[in-house]
Amino acid sequence: MNIVVIIKQTPDTESVIRIAPDNKSIVTEGLKWIINPYDEFAIEAALRLKSKHGGNVTVVTYGPPRVVEALRTALAMGADDAVHVDDPAMKTADFLRVTRALAAAATECDPEIILMGSRAVDYDQGQRGAIVAEMLGWPHLPLAVSLESDGKVVTIERPIEGGKVTLESPLPVLVTLGGSHAIWNPRYASLPGIMKAKKKPLKARKLTDLGLDPADFGPETARIRITSLEMPPQRAAGRMIDDGLDTEGKARELVRVLHEEARVI
Amino acid sequence: MKLLADERDIKFVLHEQLRIEELSRYPRFSEFSREICDMVLDQAEKLAEKEFYPTNRKGDEEGCTFEDGQVRVPGCFREPYRLYCEGGWLAMADPPEVGGQGFPFLLGNACLEFLGSANWAVMMYPGLTHGAARLLERHGSRELQDIYMYRMYSGEWAGTMCLTEDVAGSDVGSLRTKAVKREDGSYSISGQKIFISCGMHDLTENIVHMVLARTEGAPRGAKGISIFVVPRLLPREDGILEDNDVRCAGIEKKLGIHGSSTCVLNFGENGNCRGFLLGEENAGMRIMFDMMNEARLFVGMQGLCHANAAYLHALQYAKDRIQGAPVERMKDPFAPRVPIIQHPDVRRMLMFMKSSTEGMRALMHLASYCIDRVRAAQDPGERERFQGYVDLLIPICKSVGSDLGFRVCETAIQVYGGYGYSREYPVEQFLRDCKIASIYEGTNGIQALDLVGRKLTLKRGQLVKNALAAIDEILAKVRTNFNLRDMVQIYDEAQESLIQVTKFFALKGMTDEFHVPLLYAKPYLDLCGDVSMGFLLLWQAHLADRRLREIYRDHNASDDVSRGKVLRENRSAAFYFGKIASARFFINQVLTQAGGRARSIMNNDKSALDIPDHGFALV
Ligand SMILES: Cc1cc2nc3c(=O)[nH]c(=O)nc-3n(C[C@H](O)[C@H](O)[C@H](O)COP(=O)(O)OP(=O)(O)OC[C@H]3O[C@@H](n4cnc5c(N)ncnc54)[C@H](O)[C@@H]3O)c2cc1C
Repeated sequence: MNIVVIIKQTPDTESVIRIAPDNKSIVTEGLKWIINPYDEFAIEAALRLKSKHGGNVTVVTYGPPRVVEALRTALAMGADDAVHVDDPAMKTADFLRVTRALAAAATECDPEIILMGSRAVDYDQGQRGAIVAEMLGWPHLPLAVSLESDGKVVTIERPIEGGKVTLESPLPVLVTLGGSHAIWNPRYASLPGIMKAKKKPLKARKLTDLGLDPADFGPETARIRITSLEMPPQRAAGRMIDDGLDTEGKARELVRVLHEEARVI
Repeated sequence: MKLLADERDIKFVLHEQLRIEELSRYPRFSEFSREICDMVLDQAEKLAEKEFYPTNRKGDEEGCTFEDGQVRVPGCFREPYRLYCEGGWLAMADPPEVGGQGFPFLLGNACLEFLGSANWAVMMYPGLTHGAARLLERHGSRELQDIYMYRMYSGEWAGTMCLTEDVAGSDVGSLRTKAVKREDGSYSISGQKIFISCGMHDLTENIVHMVLARTEGAPRGAKGISIFVVPRLLPREDGILEDNDVRCAGIEKKLGIHGSSTCVLNFGENGNCRGFLLGEENAGMRIMFDMMNEARLFVGMQGLCHANAAYLHALQYAKDRIQGAPVERMKDPFAPRVPIIQHPDVRRMLMFMKSSTEGMRALMHLASYCIDRVRAAQDPGERERFQGYVDLLIPICKSVGSDLGFRVCETAIQVYGGYGYSREYPVEQFLRDCKIASIYEGTNGIQALDLVGRKLTLKRGQLVKNALAAIDEILAKVRTNFNLRDMVQIYDEAQESLIQVTKFFALKGMTDEFHVPLLYAKPYLDLCGDVSMGFLLLWQAHLADRRLREIYRDHNASDDVSRGKVLRENRSAAFYFGKIASARFFINQVLTQAGGRARSIMNNDKSALDIPDHGFALV
């Protein structure tokens, strides 16, 4: 089974995020990067499919040189080869354009199934899977919490309000992974895996390599632009009612505050 | 929140200070690169965060249980142990020929910072196994290696070190366990060992004990000790495992590391316990010493690990806990209440923890690095020089790591206040788990004797001279840095004090006052620790100062205001600033005391010796 996993490198979920002075991006200097956790589930699901049906797992990503770390980690987990899409023309490309390039890179591998995280923990747009499926004209099974295949048909379960629904599709198909760490339990890269990863093929692809025209990726083509970022408002400090009052006084003051200031009673 | 070990500082020591990548110039590490190094560290941290730490408190509460001769470890230990072994971590720094991964030992210990900080009790099992397997690698026959070593390096079977008996603690030479040669060349082992870590447990099917014992007619004392491989279950020719008459008679209830079983082991109660000689008869102590350096460093690392977690937890707590008004408005009841990190006394405690932890980290990793150089060196002169550094550093690492690590844990509780003393918060466990490190693997008192009685006098003091020369070479660069000159001066004075005490000891050693160096061996060791860490932090400050100035330059920050802005916005700048602050704090607060400490030794005060035993207290 020929499997492609499209992944993204995101800031570690434990990082303290700070907005850059331009107010449109975050400070990336000194940040720790990881594979988007949902994409890690996708890698795990791909490796499980491979161990059952044989075949090949290719990981694909886009980004600056640092994203090679994410690819190497996926290779260390057990993926067979990797594709790194990068092109100076893509610096200003929006989400949709980047996705087009990723879809082209994935198609090049001639996959029967494409796996992706259902969302990325950075901008959390949750669109990329659907867009890739649409671009390829493939069915899209979203938010999988389980994934089985007999080699011809893929079956997934996705949670819905109060239960689970089972969906199936013939190959080729694109599946986006939902669920949690506890559900997918993605494997750790073993030390021998890390040593082997160094020798596995990692291809760099530019837009022209993918048959795309860099002119289509200019800033003017962007349909979405980030105009500003802001932090969630700080929660105001709580207020202690004391003022040297006795218990009854405190209770009376509390009732007054709830009634007159907070207006909840 | 990642509160196990400061990854940025670990990478600073590995890459910027010790330049681990350059080890790849040796054939042994030719496959090694910075990229691989960072990937390995990442995985170690992940394993520690996700699998080890979540079992830390649970393992402490559940502890080990003993029933019908069987010991059960906390059930939650199985998964981290399995993942650790399957990932190839147990033998990560051993050569591929024995099933290892061939990484630098330094990287192994850097990973241990995460894993050991997350759960030391779990780490005891593979830690002991590794030491035992290494003895087999170095001294075992081909046959013993085939049967035992590979299975141990993979974690399939576990191992232990059995030295201690009731009459033989620090004085290992007094042990009584007997080994009687049998016709088939193996030995019948009989005797009782106590305090044996991981002596019995249910993580593995079999446990292979390295047992110190005496053969018939062996000379008294340490010279008459041999070492034997004694499996709990003996593999027969057909592969079936047979009981080898090793019984666990009980486990200790103890202050900390509850998840690590500490066992009384009876060998040969029924006369059916077989052991296999390692090396030659009466060579036991020499063989044991061979792996002692790494075992002692492992224990020093334990102290560092608990300090790591204690410091980072306390730091986080200090940022979160609101208590009291800011200093400027201390008396104003309307002043807003602030996080305790804003109080000067709390900041001082945090700086003590930060600088001590970073000093210990540099010290441990320097020793690990030297071990790599010994293993990798092709030139005998180079190997000997680095072996000398190792020999000198080991007792310091073991003792400083455990003692200072404990002080850091204690300070963490202080930062937490009453909550730190409570079981509801994790820091009290770090303190309890840490305490044992100053006791096992040779008490810190014994480490001091090793330093003063053996290491100082080895090769007529050449070890110390070589170390000082190496320090001098690095300091030559630091001395050119104008920003650090006040620190260099304090360091120089401290080092001079240490040299004075060293000479004082050498002189006393030749007189009938030779017990004075023994009396003050431990304070002397502590002084060595302070000076070594002071040197390492000063070296780091120099590297950090250069990087910080580069960052300021890149941001055109030439005045205090613009620099302040860079420090607020740039993580690296804040990190390097923090490195220089660590050095400044340690050198000013700790190293300035070196002169006084030297004086306290050289005053030749013998009150502790002169006082009659019943003069201590009339009880
Ligand atoms: C949890 C735990 C795990 C352990 N694991 C193992 C293990 O796996 N294998 C193993 O073999 N042992 C193990 N031990 C035993 C440990 O190594 C000994 O407890 C230690 O060596 C000290 O011996 P002791 O307890 O008999 O103390 P003692 O030797 O009685 O020492 C008591 C005090 O006297 C001091 N002292 C003793 N002799 C001298 C001297 N000559 N000069 C100056 N001071 C001296 C010591 O420094 C100490 O302060 C373990 C112990 C514990 C508690």
